[in-house]
Amino acid sequence: MPSNGSSSAAAVWAVLRKECRSEWRTRYGLNAALLFAVTTLTAVSFAIGRLGNRTDLLAALLWIVLLFAALASLSHAFVREVEGRTLLLLRLVASPAAIATGKLVFNLLFLGVLELVTVPLFLVLMGAPPPRWGAFLGILGLGSIALGGCATLVGAVISQARGRGALYAAVSFPLLLPMLAAAVSGTRAQWEGGPVGSEARLLTAYAAAVVGASLLLYDRLWED
Amino acid sequence: MWRGLLLLWMTVSMVAAFTWAPLVPGLEETTRVLYFHIPAAWLSVVGLGWSMVHSLLYLGRRRIEHDDHAAAAAELGLLFCVVATVSGSVWAKAVWHSYWNWDPRETSIFFILLIYGAYLALRSAIEGEERRARLSAIYSAAAFVTVPFLMFVVPRIYFSLHPDPLINPGGKIEMDPRIRIGFGAMLVGFTGLFAWLLSLRVRLVRLERVQLEAGAVPGGSL
Repeated sequence: MPSNGSSSAAAVWAVLRKECRSEWRTRYGLNAALLFAVTTLTAVSFAIGRLGNRTDLLAALLWIVLLFAALASLSHAFVREVEGRTLLLLRLVASPAAIATGKLVFNLLFLGVLELVTVPLFLVLMGAPPPRWGAFLGILGLGSIALGGCATLVGAVISQARGRGALYAAVSFPLLLPMLAAAVSGTRAQWEGGPVGSEARLLTAYAAAVVGASLLLYDRLWED
Repeated sequence: MWRGLLLLWMTVSMVAAFTWAPLVPGLEETTRVLYFHIPAAWLSVVGLGWSMVHSLLYLGRRRIEHDDHAAAAAELGLLFCVVATVSGSVWAKAVWHSYWNWDPRETSIFFILLIYGAYLALRSAIEGEERRARLSAIYSAAAFVTVPFLMFVVPRIYFSLHPDPLINPGGKIEMDPRIRIGFGAMLVGFTGLFAWLLSLRVRLVRLERVQLEAGAVPGGSL
């Protein structure tokens, strides 16, 4: 049904715009996440100093910094609705899948902005050798989609649980482990001049599987 | 009746495993861990699969019995997973001289351990039976999607020292027939034990629910 398809696309777009607008009004989530990312980065950089040619460590630390920043902020899109008691109203005007997809796209944009600040700072502060930009950005982008997809799904689940702050990281981590391993090894390979094709394929498949499964599962998220 | 048989079966196979079955050259006395470690590892995978299948069934049918099965299998799976991890780690200390070095098998069992831990922690944090069942089933289904990827990722990154190459070179099972019989008997015994414990746990959860409902109805002025 094309009309249904276009109306749900419109709903996703509306949810996305609403997310961006309410984030822009307070900028609470973005400010907190950016500060958190910079704090993690500073702590790592202070503790280790410039790593220069240790590309194995650089790749691992880059993804750890990004993981921490993501886990500190990506459940916010759902938690905000629960804490503000606005979820019920939102559910009246849009389907669960549209709400969740809108929030997923918002989270991916959010992660993009976060990386726009964090990644250049990381490269400068750690004294990293210049990356092969195509491969580096490719792995970074695919990894971020996989990371964002997982983190959004778990965020949706965890927003309905008690003690969500501490639990969020612990519950997300098992799902993120395969993606993190592939992203780290891809980033390392890119610095060492090796091929990154298999990691890129793995991350693509992973992102597609997680986002696809999420779209099926989001319909069952709220049924009280 | 069949519980008595299970006890007898496990006793006989355990005694046989320690007295009748020979040792694998190169592993010597540490061969014996095989009879406990592999069945436990097998059951931690079975428990995970059972739990995830029942989670998917719950999402499809919305019958709370499926959630009982998913939760009970996760609890028991965690128990067997700890047994497999600890026995494997002790064995690794004896043979590889290190309790833990992120061998692929260690990585995958650690991953299973993490999923169990996260699943049970999530369950304990959600209030309301229906909501708990629904959300933990969603989490379980999501974890189900990531499992095959780990199978691809891990062997690419780490190099294995796990002794199936020692026990069965070339992918064929070339164990001594006596080891194979002892191992098969222990595997059957452990699986029977798991099935029994699972049925007990599920019955217990059901009785608790009946008791809760019986208690709630007469005083139902809330």
